[in-house]
Amino acid sequence: MSKQINVALIGNPNTGKTSVFNALTGLNQKVGNYPGITVEKKEGVCKLPRGVKAHIIDLPGTYSLNASSLDENVVIELLLNKKDKDFPDIAVVVSDVENLKRNLLLFTQIKDLEIPTLLVINMADRMSYKGISLDIDYLEEHLQTKIALISTRKGQGIDNLKNLIANYKDLSITPCLNASEIDRDYFDSLRKAFPNQLLYKLWLVITQDVNFGKTDRNEIDAVANFKTKSKGDLKRLQQKETIKRYQFINNVLKKGQTIDISQAKDLRTKFDRILTHKVWGYVIFFFILLTIFQAIYDWSSVPMDFIDSIFASLSEWVKNMLPDGAFTNLLAEGIIPGLGGIVIFIPQIAFLFLFIAVLEESGYMSRVVFLMDRVMRRFGLSGKSVVPLISGTACAIPAIMATRNIESWKERLITILVTPFTTCSARLPVYLIIIALVIPEGRILGLSYQALTLMLLYLIGFVTAVFSAYILNKILKIRSKTFFVVEMPNYKLPMFKNVALTVIEKTKSFVFGAGKIILAISIVLWFLASYGPGDAFNNAENIVKSEYASQHLTKEDLQQKIASHKLEHSFIGITGRAIEPVIRPLGYDWKIGIAIVSSFAAREVFVGTLATIYSVGSDEEETIKNRMASEVNPILGGPLFTFASGISLLLFYAFAMQCMSTLAIVKKETNSWKWPVLQLVIMTTFAYIVALIAFQFLK
Amino acid sequence: MNTIIQNILVYTALALAVAFIVKTYVWSPKKKKTKACGGDDSCGCH
Repeated sequence: MSKQINVALIGNPNTGKTSVFNALTGLNQKVGNYPGITVEKKEGVCKLPRGVKAHIIDLPGTYSLNASSLDENVVIELLLNKKDKDFPDIAVVVSDVENLKRNLLLFTQIKDLEIPTLLVINMADRMSYKGISLDIDYLEEHLQTKIALISTRKGQGIDNLKNLIANYKDLSITPCLNASEIDRDYFDSLRKAFPNQLLYKLWLVITQDVNFGKTDRNEIDAVANFKTKSKGDLKRLQQKETIKRYQFINNVLKKGQTIDISQAKDLRTKFDRILTHKVWGYVIFFFILLTIFQAIYDWSSVPMDFIDSIFASLSEWVKNMLPDGAFTNLLAEGIIPGLGGIVIFIPQIAFLFLFIAVLEESGYMSRVVFLMDRVMRRFGLSGKSVVPLISGTACAIPAIMATRNIESWKERLITILVTPFTTCSARLPVYLIIIALVIPEGRILGLSYQALTLMLLYLIGFVTAVFSAYILNKILKIRSKTFFVVEMPNYKLPMFKNVALTVIEKTKSFVFGAGKIILAISIVLWFLASYGPGDAFNNAENIVKSEYASQHLTKEDLQQKIASHKLEHSFIGITGRAIEPVIRPLGYDWKIGIAIVSSFAAREVFVGTLATIYSVGSDEEETIKNRMASEVNPILGGPLFTFASGISLLLFYAFAMQCMSTLAIVKKETNSWKWPVLQLVIMTTFAYIVALIAFQFLK
Repeated sequence: MNTIIQNILVYTALALAVAFIVKTYVWSPKKKKTKACGGDDSCGCH
């Protein structure tokens, strides 16, 4: 029987920890959350030599075991709690060859917990570029561990790493620093009070500013109350500990590492000078954005048209092949068009994430954060707010969670409140279909009007977020101090595997996350559009026939009139008519109204809803875009989706707070209903007013 | 017969869809509270 061991991958941010995780687990990985909190938990399985199986957890990046954020707390909780089912048999500390000194601080802390600890030095292929050489034997001897020198980029050293993990029992658990050295008297009294406990573990528990969820409360409380020193004294001891650790690390690296700058062939400085330049930096960033949006349009049009026609044919095929009846209609007019409304956007979403992943992997995103900090400060945000604002282009939920590393509560709250303005991927389907309907296909300087409109919408979202932050900064009376530290990783050629995994994972979660709710809503909507109360619905055929008896309509026209009459008097038609007075000034009919209401669950439901409503009663094989283009405005008589109504709709979706899950996460993060309710009311009212002005001005 | 089966399938699908929506947005089982950071303000994050 094969043995399974728990392996914890730990390391500073930007050390290539996730690349090591990917190299070890490949596609045998899953992403979830830690129970009770919303920090992402990545775990996977890896087969090691001699039939050993490793359950690998990729823990959030942390600089030390002195937690200041929820992410870091997860690492400490796991390492302190032997009863946790994931408690590691071996801790694998991933470090980066260029920042070994800083990375070793975390290594020494983990090793002092007497957990078998293996040191992985990643990015070994960059040593010659940087003029770095390492004496591995010396380092192994003085750090009392085994070292795996690897390069995930080149795939070097992975087999050796697997071997070392499999032989984890050979690793020494001797601590690097004797905890008593921090303060002999204090630690002696601690040892006397808790004779059977590991001193360094006790010290970590005493000095943490966090709550422990999984660790035994009784044990923690007893230790945490052992505070014979004041908070200030404890902080001073913590600083002393850090100094002692760096003294130890410096001594080891003095002989174990040689850096000859004259041998370095570094392009980083040259690149940084241009990419973070106070003028060129912004110009380059702007052109990179332009290229991304142009590519999203140009590259994805063919696969999108293909998917659209496939779903139209599938509906037709189901209608022809299955016996006539309500369920066949549900499949052909409800479920298939509804799902088609989400699947069609896979190419564009995949391209968007492809570009974001490439920018992140290459190290450019950190330069953007640095660049934008100059701008952000003026609006009451932190440079760190850029990360949530940029990741908000994927989804506001992880973006809001990503605000946890902003130290100032005021900046964090403002970032949480304005992040939903950035254009998330759920808005993308709405934008794409409306832009395709109302913006002409022409080009200017090689850039299509449609791509420029999309980029403009992204900019509008970002600018609104920043200006709202400015206003909130003036209004909110919260005092807090702030500072900004960002690590600039080296420029790297993005690794295909990492980029591919990101694209697959993000697209999958978009499609399956949204797909389930869209499927459910499509079924409900189809039912509400296909059934109705009273004589007007049930006797529709006779009513229409007698109404048009004198007009000699063709059979097709008559069927069309009956279908239209039925839809109008169905449950959904009655509801739509009831809300129509509110949305008519914006240029929308009741069908769009229903789509807006249903998309309060999630924005991407909008297209699926319209696809379902427009399909009901129609026998023709039509793509979603064509169905929407042929819709007629019941009052004005022309096409429903005109430039004015389209722009109004785009602006409504740019500003409205239409995502229940985002509201839920804001409530969770702020621990109050006040903020999400304010967000909902203010954003939606603002969206309504802007959409109203746009339609009335443009019509 | 065909009509009855088709109607049964439609109402079953509808019931499942409504149940899923309610479970997702209205009613969600209470998770065990784990007093982790974020639940209150004693975590030192803010």
